[in-house]
Amino acid sequence: MHSHVNKFIETARKELKNEPSQMFLMMVSLGAPILRQIGMSSFPDIAAAESYSRAIRADAIARLPELLEEFEKNAESKGAKVLWAKNAAEANNIILDIANRGGVSYVMKGKSMITEEIGLNEHLIKNGVEVFETDLGEVITQNLNLHPFHLVGPAINVPLEKISETFLKKGIIKKASTDPVELGGGARKYLRDKFRNLQMGIVGVNMAVAETGTIINVENEGNIRLIKSSPKTLVAIMSLEKVVPTIKDAIFMTRMLTRNCTGQKITSYVSMDTGPKKPDEQDGPEELFIIILDNGRSEIYRDFKTREILKCIRCGACLNTCPVYTKIGGYPYGATYCGPVGQVLTPMLMGIENTTDLYRACTLCGMCKQICPAGIDHPSLLLSYRSRQIDIKKQKGEKTMQSRGENAMASLISLGMSHGWLWNFGLKITRPLMNSLAKDGYIGSIPMGAQGWFGCRDLRAIPAKTFHETWNDLPSLPELSGNTSKKEDS
Amino acid sequence: MKVSLFIPCTVDIMMPEIGVAAHTLLSNLGTQTIYHKEQTCCGQPLFNAGYRDQAKRVAKHFIEVFGEDECIVSPAGSCVCMVKYHYPELLADEPAWHSRACGLAGRVYELSQYIVDVLKTTDVGAKYAGKVTYHESCHILRGLNISDQPKKLIAGVEGAQFVELDNSTACCGFGGEFAIGYPEISEALVRDKALNFIKSGADVLLLCEPGCLLNISGYLHRNHPKKTARHLASFLAENLKKV
Repeated sequence: MHSHVNKFIETARKELKNEPSQMFLMMVSLGAPILRQIGMSSFPDIAAAESYSRAIRADAIARLPELLEEFEKNAESKGAKVLWAKNAAEANNIILDIANRGGVSYVMKGKSMITEEIGLNEHLIKNGVEVFETDLGEVITQNLNLHPFHLVGPAINVPLEKISETFLKKGIIKKASTDPVELGGGARKYLRDKFRNLQMGIVGVNMAVAETGTIINVENEGNIRLIKSSPKTLVAIMSLEKVVPTIKDAIFMTRMLTRNCTGQKITSYVSMDTGPKKPDEQDGPEELFIIILDNGRSEIYRDFKTREILKCIRCGACLNTCPVYTKIGGYPYGATYCGPVGQVLTPMLMGIENTTDLYRACTLCGMCKQICPAGIDHPSLLLSYRSRQIDIKKQKGEKTMQSRGENAMASLISLGMSHGWLWNFGLKITRPLMNSLAKDGYIGSIPMGAQGWFGCRDLRAIPAKTFHETWNDLPSLPELSGNTSKKEDS
Repeated sequence: MKVSLFIPCTVDIMMPEIGVAAHTLLSNLGTQTIYHKEQTCCGQPLFNAGYRDQAKRVAKHFIEVFGEDECIVSPAGSCVCMVKYHYPELLADEPAWHSRACGLAGRVYELSQYIVDVLKTTDVGAKYAGKVTYHESCHILRGLNISDQPKKLIAGVEGAQFVELDNSTACCGFGGEFAIGYPEISEALVRDKALNFIKSGADVLLLCEPGCLLNISGYLHRNHPKKTARHLASFLAENLKKV
C-alpha cells in the first residue's frame, strides 16, 4: 500500500467529520482502557507486571544480535530454514521464489503488520500469485484497499453496509446482509474452501523464542492456526526485534500482549510452533521458512536513542489512550503503523524529512509512555525527531527562505530569552501591537502568525504590567501577615 | 525559609496574577520569596520545536540566574519538567553544565507540591462557597506525578465542594505549538474538556498549568462565556479569609 503521510492534516480534518470513525473512536477511547484495566487487574501487582515486561523487552533488545543468532541456530536444529532479508524487496522476492518453486497459484495469509509494511500482497499479485487474507478485518481492508484504521482492528470502523457491498462484489457472500454474524460466516465459508487445497501459507510472528527456536502467534479467529498447520509450505516472516530470550519470557509477554491489546487474559488461540512437521506427526507444514527481516531496523538499532523503538510488541495500547489518535483514527498517519507506535517508527522507516506531521502532531501528554508495556518513551523520541529535523534543515544550508527565516527567528528568541533586559524590552514593544487587536479585553483573531489558535479560542489581552513589572509593587511579608521576614529582590 | 520564584514566561506576560498569587500564598505561609529579575523563559517552546542549540543557551541563562537557590518554586508543571528533566538531557555533552543542571533539577518544585510536601500545609486559609473541580494537566500528573497535592489544597478550602470531572486526566489539547499547528484536533480535545467541565456542575475548573489555562479559558471565553477556569494559586489567593 502506498503511503500518504504528507496528507496528515487533510485526512485528519476529513476523519474529524466522519461520523462512523468518530463513533468508533469514542467507543475505543472509553472502552479499551477499561477492558485493559480489567485484564491487568488479574495480576496481583500491576505495576510490578509492567516493570517485568519492560525489563524483558529491554533485555531482549540489549542482547538482540546474540539472541537472533541463538534463535536461528535453534530453529534450524528443529528443521526450519531461516532466511535473512535486508529490505522489503529481498523479503518479497524470497517469498515469491518459494511460491514459484512450489508452483502455487495462491497463498493465504494470517494478519500481519510486517507484510503490510513491505507490500507483500502487491508484489505477489503483480507476479501472478493470488493472495487471500484470512483475518476478517484484513479481508475487508484488502478488498477495500484501505490502510489499517487500528493496529489490532484494521477495519473496525468500516460500516456493515460497505462490507456487505464489497463482499457481494467479490462473491464472498451471495446476498446482501448487515448482520455481522452472517458477514463473518460468509467470509469463513469462503475461506474454508480455499483452505482445502492450500499449498502455501504466510504468517507474521508475535514472538520468536531464542532458546527453543519457537514461533508464537496470538489471534482470536483461528485462521493463523489453520495456516500454520494445513499447507505443505509455511512461511513465517518477522522483523528482527520479535525475538525474546526464553519460553518463560515469551509466556509472560503473551500475557501482557493480550491484556494490553484487547483486555483479554488470553486470546482464543495461541499457537507455538517449533520447526516443521516431524516424521511421526500428523499435522503441520512439511517445510517451514522463517524470514528475519531488517528493513531499516539495524539502522534504528545502531542509534542508542532510537533503539528503544524496537521494544514495541504491537499491542496497540498506546493508540487507545492517545488523545490525537482517538480523535482522528488511523488513516491520517498514512502508513502501516498508526498512533504513537507509527509516530515513533514511521519517521525512521521513511525518513525524518518526509514525515513531519507524525512527530509534530503530538501534545506530549505522555499517555503512551505511561501505558506502554514495553517501556518506550514516545514523547522523548518525538522531541528528538523534531530536533533532528531542524538539524537536517541546517545542514542542508537552509536553502529555503522559510527554514532560514525560522532558524533566525528561533535564534533571535533564544537571544532575547538569554538576556532579561532584552526580553522585557521585546515584551514592551509587542504588548501594544497585540492589544491593538483586542476588543473588550480579549483578542479574537490576528492578521498573521499563530492563526490556528483563534479558530476556536480567544486570547486575553496582555495585561498592562508583566509580573516582572509588578514585582516591586508587591507587598512584602510584614504588610501581609505581620511577620518579620522580607521579600527580597535580586 | 527562602523560596525563589520561577515565573514562567506565560505567567509573566499573559497571566501575572498567577505569579502574584504564588507570592501571596508562599508569603502567608511564612516563606520569604525572592524573584530574580533576570529570569525570562525556561526555553521549553524552543526545545519542543526542535531548536536545541537555541534552547541550550536559554537553559544556561536559567542556570546562571537561579544559581545556588535552595528552593525554586513555579506555578507551572511543564516548565518544571523542562528544567528538571530536559535540562540535564540538553546539556548532556557539556559535563560542567550538565552537573549544574542535575544539581538544579533536585531543587525545583511545582507550587502545590512545595506547599503540601515541603511546607506540610494543606490549609492555606481560603474559603469558598461553591462547587469546584480539577483538571489533571499532563505535565503535572504524568510529568511530575503530582495529583494528590492540588486535591489536598482544594479539600483544605473551607466550604468548597469538590465534584468529579469525567476524564480528568485527559489532555486538553494545548501542547504548545500543537494548538496552533493542528487547530482542528486541538479544538476537538478542548471541546471535550469544556463539555466534561460543564457536565460536572462545578462553578469553576481548577488547574495548575498555565498552558492548559490559556487554552481552556480561551475556549470557554469564546464558546461558554459564563464558565471559568482558574489556576489553583489564583483561586486560593483570591479566596483567602480576611485576617
